[in-house]
Amino acid sequence: MPHLDAAFNLARWLTGNATDAEDVVQDAYLRAFRYFDAFRGENFRVWLLTIVRNSFLTWLQDNRSGRVLFRPDVNEIAETWADPAPGPEAMLVEQVDRETLATLVAQLPAEYREILVLREIEDLSYKEIAQVAAIPVGTVMSRLARARQSLRKAWIRQEKGGHRA
Amino acid sequence: MKHQTALSLMHASVDGQLGPLRRLLLARHIARCTSCRGEQERLHAMRTALRTNLSAYRAPPGLAARIGSALPREVPPEIRRPSPWLPRTGFTMAGALAGAALTLALVWLPARPPADSLASEAIAGHVRSMMADHLTDVLTSDQHTVKPWLSARLNFSPVVKDFVAEGYPLVGGRLDYVAGREAAAVVYRRDKHTINLFAFVSATGENTPPTLQQRDGFNVITWRMGGLTYIAVSDVEASQLENFVKLVRDAAA
Repeated sequence: MPHLDAAFNLARWLTGNATDAEDVVQDAYLRAFRYFDAFRGENFRVWLLTIVRNSFLTWLQDNRSGRVLFRPDVNEIAETWADPAPGPEAMLVEQVDRETLATLVAQLPAEYREILVLREIEDLSYKEIAQVAAIPVGTVMSRLARARQSLRKAWIRQEKGGHRA
Repeated sequence: MKHQTALSLMHASVDGQLGPLRRLLLARHIARCTSCRGEQERLHAMRTALRTNLSAYRAPPGLAARIGSALPREVPPEIRRPSPWLPRTGFTMAGALAGAALTLALVWLPARPPADSLASEAIAGHVRSMMADHLTDVLTSDQHTVKPWLSARLNFSPVVKDFVAEGYPLVGGRLDYVAGREAAAVVYRRDKHTINLFAFVSATGENTPPTLQQRDGFNVITWRMGGLTYIAVSDVEASQLENFVKLVRDAAA
């Protein structure tokens, strides 16, 4: 099954648990097989990840739990480029351990989380992310910046809070 | 470059996603701006931290098999061999890739009446070649490379010609299997579409004219000439595939 790990990884980060991720991935592959003739021979992984994301959105509608709804933020662009002016503790991000980092990323809103995962784990280009997330490249850029800044702030908060999980 | 602009481009720069001009302008600004330099260093550090420590989840063992069995099409019994070892072999990258090709082979052979099985197999081979990132073994538009490459590996020599002037450029070739026989797969492109041209030794020697079949969104043209069976598969329009087949047949004549 091509790119199964990549598909599962995205679904796992989006749904937040393995069971739902499996359902989403299975649905995505069924769609991929059904609509294979719509694939125009560009990047199969990008095409497949786009379907995984769509399957996730369908899954969200069917399992409206109120946990992880996508909420487009109108102030997004305006707020993004504020000077971050971080203190010296910002460098501590380097020392974050895997478990803490996973928790912090899992707490990001889904629309930031998916972009972070596509960029840092799947190593997609901005253009490819734009295709998967169905947003303009400029929005990819601003969301990625927001995602990283939110993550940095959350990490600093956590450090100040004295390592509470 | 203004400070705000520089900040807004910083992430794209750290991600290597800026064009040369903006990269240059940004570098000039950063050289003069300590605040931006600090931000750039922090971003680099963060990117490294994320790439080192952000976990990639791996598909659990058995998921591939589960998806395979949920697919709508039935697989002929002699091919269906649910292989539990397949997803469980540790899931190394190489294993996953090898598994990909195999699983697709298991999954993609549609059960159809035997008369159509060649076309089905050819479609499966076509789809597999694109899904498993294995379109070509020899990637060149030079027919004088592709043809000897195939001839050296097969005991027959199919037609290989670059039809770039006619709008069907040669992409390359690979070895494949159709109906359990070693086949040459010569790959062409028509605009953004891929055409796989399979050729293998015919069971019977008689020449037959091209016949077109349409299924699953693909067009398939089969004919026999010179002791070989040829199957052209693509999602291009039927008329374009027919033009292509005419070119191939003329080239052989």
